[in-house]
Amino acid sequence: MNAPVASSHRASRLTQVRARASGNLVLGGLIIVLVALTLGMGALEPLFHALFPELRNPLYARDSFLNLMLAHIGLVLVSSLISVTIGIAAGLFVTRPVGREFEPMVSSLAAIGQTFPPAAVLAIAVPLAGFGFAPTIIALSLYGLLPVIQNTIAGLGTVPQTTLEAARGNGMSRTQILMRVELPLAMRVIIAGIRVSVIINIGTATIGSTVGAKSLGTPLIAGLVGNNLAYVIQGALLVGLLAIVTDLLFERLERRYSFGG
Amino acid sequence: MIELKGLTKRYAGKSVVDDISLTLEDGEFGVLIGPSGCGKSTTLKMINRLIPASGGQILLNGDDVADLPVEQLRRRIGYAIQSTGLFPHWDVARNIATVPQLLKWPKSRIDDRVDELMALFHLDPAEFRGKYPHQLSGGQAQRVGVARALAADPEVLLMDEPFGAVDPLTREVLQAEMKRVHQQTGKTIVFVTHDMDEALSLATRIALLNQGRLVQYDRPIELMVEPADDFVREFIGQADLGLKLLSRRWVHQYQREARLQQTETLDSLHAHGWLIDDQGRPSALAGARLDDADAITRVKPEWIATPEMSMKEALSRMVWYRVMVLPVVDDAGKLIGEVGMQGVMGMQDEPEGALS
Amino acid sequence: MSKVDTRSDRALRTSSRPIVGNRVLLTLLIIALASVAFLPFATLSPNRLVSGQAVMLWQACRPWQWIALAALGALLLVSAAGRPLAARPACRVALLTSLPLIALLLISLGDYAHRALSDASPAARVSQSASFWVLLFVGALVAVDALQRLRLGLVPRLGFALVAVVLVAVCLASDLLSGLSIMREFANQRANFLDQLVRHLVLVAGALIPALLVGLPLGLLARRREAWRSGLFSVLNVFQTLPSIAVFGLLIAPLAALARAVPWLAELGIGGIGLAPAIIALVIYSLLPIVRNTYAGLAGVPAGTLEAARGMGMTPTQILWRVEVPLALPVILSGLRIVTVQAIGLAVVAALIGAGGFGAFIFQGLGQYAIDLVLLGAIPTIVMAVIADFILQILVSLSRPAGTR
Ligand SMILES: Nc1ncnc2c1ncn2[C@@H]1O[C@H](COP(=O)(O)OP(=O)(O)OP(=O)(O)O)[C@@H](O)[C@H]1O
Ligand SMILES: [Mg+2]
Repeated sequence: MNAPVASSHRASRLTQVRARASGNLVLGGLIIVLVALTLGMGALEPLFHALFPELRNPLYARDSFLNLMLAHIGLVLVSSLISVTIGIAAGLFVTRPVGREFEPMVSSLAAIGQTFPPAAVLAIAVPLAGFGFAPTIIALSLYGLLPVIQNTIAGLGTVPQTTLEAARGNGMSRTQILMRVELPLAMRVIIAGIRVSVIINIGTATIGSTVGAKSLGTPLIAGLVGNNLAYVIQGALLVGLLAIVTDLLFERLERRYSFGG
Repeated sequence: MIELKGLTKRYAGKSVVDDISLTLEDGEFGVLIGPSGCGKSTTLKMINRLIPASGGQILLNGDDVADLPVEQLRRRIGYAIQSTGLFPHWDVARNIATVPQLLKWPKSRIDDRVDELMALFHLDPAEFRGKYPHQLSGGQAQRVGVARALAADPEVLLMDEPFGAVDPLTREVLQAEMKRVHQQTGKTIVFVTHDMDEALSLATRIALLNQGRLVQYDRPIELMVEPADDFVREFIGQADLGLKLLSRRWVHQYQREARLQQTETLDSLHAHGWLIDDQGRPSALAGARLDDADAITRVKPEWIATPEMSMKEALSRMVWYRVMVLPVVDDAGKLIGEVGMQGVMGMQDEPEGALS
Repeated sequence: MSKVDTRSDRALRTSSRPIVGNRVLLTLLIIALASVAFLPFATLSPNRLVSGQAVMLWQACRPWQWIALAALGALLLVSAAGRPLAARPACRVALLTSLPLIALLLISLGDYAHRALSDASPAARVSQSASFWVLLFVGALVAVDALQRLRLGLVPRLGFALVAVVLVAVCLASDLLSGLSIMREFANQRANFLDQLVRHLVLVAGALIPALLVGLPLGLLARRREAWRSGLFSVLNVFQTLPSIAVFGLLIAPLAALARAVPWLAELGIGGIGLAPAIIALVIYSLLPIVRNTYAGLAGVPAGTLEAARGMGMTPTQILWRVEVPLALPVILSGLRIVTVQAIGLAVVAALIGAGGFGAFIFQGLGQYAIDLVLLGAIPTIVMAVIADFILQILVSLSRPAGTR
C-alpha cells in the first residue's frame, strides 16, 4: 500500500528536479544569448542587410549596444534601489504599532497609484523635472515603489498571528521577531513585489528615451521614428531578452524563499 | 433494494475495493464502516457512479446502475457528504430545491416540498428559507444538506460521514434526528462512518470493511456477539462492549410492570412503588433511591424512560439521578411500566427489537 | 459617591483621548502647508516655449480666497485634533471640507489666470504648478482617509464620488479655468481630442473583447486539464514580461510582411503600423490576467460543492453555468479589472507605432517640448484608468453572490 505512494512521490520529485535542470539550461542559454547580442550585434550586420535590403544602415551605430545596455540597467538599478529602500521602509512603518494608523491610506495610495499608466507618469514627471535622466528616475522610482509597498504590507500580513505569539512567548525582542521571523516569512511576497516593480521599470525605461534618457529604447524609438525596422528589432530583442532573463532570475530568488508553501 | 455483486475498484492495478457483495433490503439503514482508507467512500461513490467501478455490478431495485443514464441515476439517489457541499451562492430554499428544479417540477410543488422538508428537520421556514449557507451553524448546514438529498424523494439515500465534522453534542442530536427521519420516511439508506457508536445506534445492517474487503456484514447485535474474526472484535472495541450491547437494546425489551401505591408512606413489603397523578402520569417514587432507600422522590422530566430509548441511555440516567428504577411512559406521558437496575442483566438474548 | 465616580471617569476618558486624533490628516496638512510655503502654485510665462516665473499661492490668491482657504485649513486642523470633536464627527467634517477645498483651489487658480492674462500679451500663459497639484492631491486624500475611517457603504461612497466628479466637471465645463494654458491647448485641440479619445477607447475595447473571447475558454481549459496549466501560464507570462514597446516593435516586421503577402489583409487595414499591431499586442498582454483569474476563480470553487453538484445529477454544462461560473465571477471580473486598467495604460505606448489615442498627444508634446500637450494626453489617460478601475471594482463587489458577499 505504501509502495505506489512512495514511488509516485519519487517520480514527482524526479520530474521536479528534471524541470529545474531544464530551467537552468534555458536561463543559462538566454543569458549567453543576451551577452552575445549585446557585445556582438555587429556580427549580425549581414543578416540585417539581407532582411532589410532597402535600408542603408541596418545596424544602429550611434552608440554601442553595450553602452545602451549598461545605461538601461543603470536606470532600472538606481530607480529600483530607491523604490525598494523606500518601499520596504514604508511597508515596515505602516505595519508597526507607530505607523499602523497610516496603513489604510498607504495601501489605497499604492492601489490607486498602480492604476496610473506608467507612460503617463513618465510624461508627467517631465514638467516637474525637465528632460533626461532625472524625470525617468523619478517616474521609475515612484511607480516602482507601489508594488513594493503593497507586497511588503501583504507579505508581513501573511505571517500567522500564532507564529508571532510563539515568537513573543519565546522571549524574542521586537527587532528579533522582525529580523528572524517576520521578514524571512514575508520575503517571498516582498520579492514578488520587487519583481513586478523591476519588470515594469525595464519596460518603462524603454520609453524613457522619449524624455531624453538613454536606454535600449533609444534605437527602438529611433527606428520607429526614422522608419528603420532593423533598429526597432535590435532594440526590442535586447530589451525583451533583458526582461525575460531578469524575470527568470527573480523567479529563482522567489523560490528560494518559499518555505514548503 | 441495493445489491452489490462482486464490486471491485482498482487504481493502477491495486484493488482498493475488492470483490464486495451484499444486499440491502428496502427500508434498511446500512452502514459502511472500517478504518480510514479501507474503501468506504469508494464503495459508496460507485453506487451513484461518481467513481466508475472496475468490476462487478450494482443493482438498484433490479436495474444495473451502469445501464442508466448517469444524471438520471443520480437524480434517483440522494447524496449527502461531510462538507455538506451546499451551494454558497444559493439560499437554503434554493439549495433544497436543487434536484426538484433539475427534474423541472412545477414551482408550487417545489415550494411545498421545501417547506415539508424543512419541517421534517425542524428548520423554521420563515427563519431559514432565505438564509445563505455561511449563515448556518454546522448542524443546521448538515440538516439542509440531508434535506436537499431527500428533496426529490429518492429511492435511496447515500451519506458519506455526514456528521463527521460537527461537535459531539450536535452529532448526537443529528443522529437522533436521522433515526427519526429514517423511521418516518422508510428510506433505504447507505451511510458511511468510522465511528462505531454512530454505526451501532443507527444501523440495521453493518458492513465492516478492511483494506477493500468485506469482513463481516450483519445486524449490529450479531457483529458484537458473533464477531467473524479478531479484526472485527478489535474494531468494535472490547472495553465497553457491554455498554455497546446495551446501546442496541431497548427499554421495552426490559420493561416490567410498575407497582402503584396510593399513599406516600412506604409499604414495607415492597422495595418501592409509584404514585401517579389523575392523568396517569408518574408523579413520585417511593423508595429505590441509592442514597436514601426510604425517601419519596418527585419524578423529574429527565428521569423517565420511553420504550424506544436504548438501555444504555436508560442505565446512564439511572446512574446520573441515583435511582434504581426509571418509570417508562408512553407518548402521552402515562406510566406504562418501569425499568430497573436489576433488570439490565436479565434480558434473554432476543437480538433485535422491532423498533430498532 | 457614584457622581464623583462618573466625573472622574469622564475626565479619564477625555484625557485618554490624545491631542492628535488623526495623525494621517495632520501629516497631510503639514505636507500641504510645506508645499504652500516652498513650491510655486502657478507659473506665468510670456509664451509657450519660455519657462515662466513662479507664482506662490499667496501671490495668486485674492484676500477672500486666502481667508476661505485658511478657514478650511483650520477646520481640517480641528478635525485632526483629538478634541473637541469625537472621531466620527471629525471625519465627517473632514469629508465635507474636502470638496469645498478642491473647488476653492480650482477657483483660485482659474481666477488668477484670468487676472494675470487680462493685462498681458496674447501669447502669455498661466499654468498650474507643483503646489497646486500637491494641494489637489491632499484634498483628494483627505476625502479618501475620511471615507476609510467612516467605513461607509457602497451607496454613500458612490454618491460622494459622483458629487466630486460633477463638481470637477462643472469647473471644467464652465469658463472658470479657460485661462489656463492646458485648457487653451484643449480648446485648440478640441476636435482632435475627441478623435483620440474615441481612438483610445477603440484600442482598449479592441484588445479586451478578443482577449476575453480567447482567455475565458483558455482559463477553463487550464482548469479542466491541469497538466497543461503550467506550460500555458509560462508562455503567457513571457508575453507579460516583455516590455510593451518591444512587442509593438517586434510585431511590425511580420505584420508588414503578412500585409505584403496577402493583399486583402492590407486592404482591411492590417499592416506593420497602426491599429492592427497595437491591438494584437494588447490582446497578448491581456491574456495572462484573464486566463489566470478565470483559472483561479474556477479552482476556488469548493471541491465538496462540485462533488455534491455531480452527486445530485447536474450535467457538466449545468455545473459550469449554475455553480462554477457564478462562484468564479468575482475573481474573473477582478482579472478584467486588471486587464482594463493595463490596456488603458499600454494603449498610450501604442501611439509610438501610429495607433493614435491619448499617447499621440503625449509623444507629440514630448517631441515639441509642449508640456501642456503632454498633460492633455497624460491626465485624461490617468482619469480614464482610475474611472475604469472604480467602475470595475463596483462590478466585482456586485458580482459577489449574495451568499458570500
Ligand atoms: N483517485 C485515486 N487514485 C488512487 N488511489 C485512490 C484514489 N482515491 C482513493 N484512493 C485510495 O483508495 C483507498 C480507499 O479510499 P476511500 O476514500 O474509499 O477510503 P475511505 O474508507 O473512505 O477512508 P476515510 O475514512 O479516510 O474517508 C485509499 O487507500 C485511497 O488512498
Ligand atoms: Mg471517505
